[in-house]
Formats: sequence, C-alpha cells, structure tokens
Amino acid sequence: MTPERLNLEKQVLQKEMPMVQCVFKDMSTSEPYVLMPVKTNIGKVYTIRIDLKGFPNQLPHAFVTKMLQTKSGRSMNDASAAMHTLPTEHGYTRICHYGSSSWTPMVSLFKVYIKCALWLNMYELHLKTGKDMDYYLSHQS
Amino acid sequence: MSKEELEFFFNSSDFSIVGKAYEWEGENVVHIHTDKIKHSFGSCNDVLFLKEDNDANEGLEYLYVVYVSKQNDEITAKVHSKSFEVEVNYIPKKQELYSRNKGILEVNVLEEKRVMIVGLGSFGSQIAIELAKAGVGEFSLFDFDRVELHNLARHTATVKDLGRLKTDVIEESIKGKNPYACVKKYAININEHLDLMEDEVAKADIVICATDNNESRFNLSSTLVHQKKVGLFGRAVTRAEGGDVFRYRPGGPCYCCLIGNQWFGLSEGEVSNVASARRNGQIAAYVSERDADAFVQVGLSADIEPICNMMVKLALMELSRGVESGISCLENELIYDYYMWANRRERRHANWAAMPGAGSKPTIMRWYGAHIPKNDNCSLCSDREVLLDEGGTIRSKYGDMINLDMSGLSVEE
Repeated sequence: MTPERLNLEKQVLQKEMPMVQCVFKDMSTSEPYVLMPVKTNIGKVYTIRIDLKGFPNQLPHAFVTKMLQTKSGRSMNDASAAMHTLPTEHGYTRICHYGSSSWTPMVSLFKVYIKCALWLNMYELHLKTGKDMDYYLSHQS
Repeated sequence: MSKEELEFFFNSSDFSIVGKAYEWEGENVVHIHTDKIKHSFGSCNDVLFLKEDNDANEGLEYLYVVYVSKQNDEITAKVHSKSFEVEVNYIPKKQELYSRNKGILEVNVLEEKRVMIVGLGSFGSQIAIELAKAGVGEFSLFDFDRVELHNLARHTATVKDLGRLKTDVIEESIKGKNPYACVKKYAININEHLDLMEDEVAKADIVICATDNNESRFNLSSTLVHQKKVGLFGRAVTRAEGGDVFRYRPGGPCYCCLIGNQWFGLSEGEVSNVASARRNGQIAAYVSERDADAFVQVGLSADIEPICNMMVKLALMELSRGVESGISCLENELIYDYYMWANRRERRHANWAAMPGAGSKPTIMRWYGAHIPKNDNCSLCSDREVLLDEGGTIRSKYGDMINLDMSGLSVEE
C-alpha cells in the first residue's frame, strides 16, 4: 500500500470512528495487517484482522482473531457458503466479505470493516436462532 | 542457416565447429545452424562446419558437413550429405523477412518497439505471434503457467508442448516467425514482483494485459498510470458469447474507472479452468469440486479470435502512432476507450437484433466502441481528491442491524 493510500484510509477511519483504536502492524514488511475492534449489538467485543498484502489492488483477507464455533459446536475453520466463511489462516475464522469479481481498489478498509461487523452481528443471530448466516446475508459475485 | 551465422564462423579463428541439423524424417529437408536454436524440432544431429581449405576427412563421422567459403566478398556454403543431395537456401535477412508488410506497416519502426505481454493463455499467445508476424522486434513475456491438455483447443501450443512453460513455448513461436526477435521471459506471478513490473512497463512501448484476474489488471493499471504508458486489456465473457477490449492511454480513464461502466459490469469474465479460477477467487473456496466444473464455460477459439485481432490492430496502431503508414487512418477510426463484441445472441445479448435487417440496432459480430468517462476521484488515476467507497450502500441497507458506535474500544493484541 502506498503511503498516500494509507493516509487516506486512516483519514476515513478517523472520520467514521474517531474514538476507536485501529492498529496497523508490520507495515514495512511483506505481510502488513490492521487490527480493528468490533462491539456487536449484544455488547460482545471482537477483534477483526485485515491482511493488507497487495491491498488495495488485491481483495484483502479478513478474520476474527479467534476460532469461532457454530451453534452446534463445529469449528468455523473451513469454507462454507451457508456461513460465509473461507478456509482458516493464522488459526482464525476467515470471513467471506467480498466476491473477487466485485472487488475494486476504490473500496475502503472502513467498508470492509463494516461488512465484518455486520457478519459478526449475523453470527450472533445464528448462535441465538440456529439459522445459517446465509439466511441473513446475501451473496456477492 | 543464415548467412550471418556463416559469416560469424568464417571470421572466427576456429577451423571447424560442430553445429546442429534438424531433420524431418522422409521429407529430405534439413535445417542447419551453427548453434542450437529455439524454434525447431524434428530429429537433431550434429553437423560439422568446415572452412573450405580444411581437411574434409575430419567430417567422415558426420551425417552432414558444411563447407564454408568466401569469394568476391560473398559468403557461400556447400552441404555434403550422406543421405541425399542438398540444395542450399538461406534464412532471409532481417530486412527481407517482412517485405510483404511494407506499405501497410512501417517495419523499421516496429522492429525497434518493445511489447510487454502479461498472460500467455489463449489471448496472449495469439497476440504475441501476430505481433511477431507484423515485425515487432522485442517482447517481454510473463506467465507462470504450463501448457495443459485443456489449453490446446484455443492456445497456439500443440501436443508437443504439453507440460512446458508457456513463456518458453511462446518464445519459440515468436522466434519461429522472427528469428531476430529479442525475447525476455518471466515465468513468475507478476503480482508478487511489482518492482519488476514497474521496470518492465517503463521499458515497454505498449503493455498487453491478457490475464484472467482483476488483481493483475489493477496492478498493471496502476503501473501504466504511473509510467504514462499505453495498455490494452482484453477478455472474453462467459462461454465467449462476446468479449471486450479496453485501451488505456495516459491521461485517460484507467481500468478502475471502467469497473463502474454498465456494459462492462454486466458480465462475468470467462472461467476457462478450475485451478486458476480457484486461485483468483472466481470460484469461491466453498464450491465443491463437482460444482466447480460447472463454472468452466469456455467458448471456441473462433470466438476469441476477433477479440485478439482487435487487440493486435490496436497495438499496431499505437506502436505506429505518429509515423506515416498504411494503418495511420485507423487513428481516426479506433478512437474509443472501450470496444465490445458479441459472438452470439444469448444471455446479455439475447435481445439484440438479428443480423439481417438490424439497421441501427446492435447486432452480433460487429464492434461497438464507447468513450468511458474518467472518474475524477479514482484511486488509481486521479490527480484530484480520491473518494473511496465508504460503504454508504451497506449502511443504508443494513444500518439498523449494526451498531457502529464503537467509542472507546481498543483491540486485543
């Protein structure tokens, strides 16, 4: 990511979430990432990790920084259309937040963050109702 | 063999050298060279080159012996064969190779031009060879893939190339058309070598993007903008029912500006094989192997030919721009940023008019051009304020389902 783009992303995050601490890590390495906190509607706090390798020209990989489980106790470590997940990396649950054909370099990290926050809220609805997340979230090409 | 090869040997201090003879069984044709060459096949034997005044006995063990001499400043060769009488023909000199293009193309200009081609699949392979046939003198080729069986129906590679690197195969094809061409090959994923991409784009006179993934298209688009170079992006859409070509010219709209265009956005790029579609995310990881096969819907080679051909024409026109030639008139015709082609009246083209009596209505097998508005706030090409997509649509659709007030939160590291 260019320094200009990084500044732009930070400006958007600062504008939209001025009181939230987002931590950009390893930015001078080949594996940079950002950590961002999410509080769901029921008050639970999670951390989202977004890998920035190749960003913004490449669709970034996004994770919840733990291995989540479904209501039935199954580990969410694999690709699932019903649960909008992709194969795990770093030992974390990976969120399917964007279709590769729909991705453009115009998409901000903040938008990815919103989609992950939405995913976490739907995850909690799944834990409550047992319905697949697919019931709440539409798919994208 | 070429007279340049013979001249080089004749002027060297060697009395004899061993070269290569490529022979096709039963055809009484043999191609003889002082060095191993890249673009020949058939059975290969050693051949002895001798300066005429040297001892012929040295050549007894060889199937072919070439006696090289010089008279009145003219280099000549006589070939002695154990199997048949050989009539010698020389490879044409560089300036004779493209004599038939003269009057249409400025061959001397193209010979100095460098074309970078990223992606040597069914598009890139054909474009590379067509440009070599036109007389382009330098190429840099990028592709990390190898030739597989499913490629053969549309690729220029043949059965003998199965398993080989596409860069090697296409280098041979280019040199088969123009033995004097200079070819630089990179069997790598360009997305992982962005510095090299920058260097090669800087050296190129035009860049052909014939890849199957958006990441490389966006990376190339950024680099073209940065290096102020012309680039062509081409693709076929599902089942090659049609396709499109986008041309970037410095200062104009970039590939990212094109993404919002309604015609471009309406169709998915063609999925030509499962492995690459998995790799670039066209087929999601959760799609089973059995279902993934259904995504692969390729069209005919004949369906993608017109799109390749348009890219070649645009490339030749851009490479010849500013030079008076037989294709200069195309500069007044090919003025658009985006070109669209339909092969069949199906899916998004289903409502197009039938060719007979179509009048002014759109129909198949004709090119349609469009100007693409430049996005003044584009993150890749704008020199004004960049306005990113901040998720307004998502927030208006799902805003009541999520609480974005995260005040005071910090991350757990």
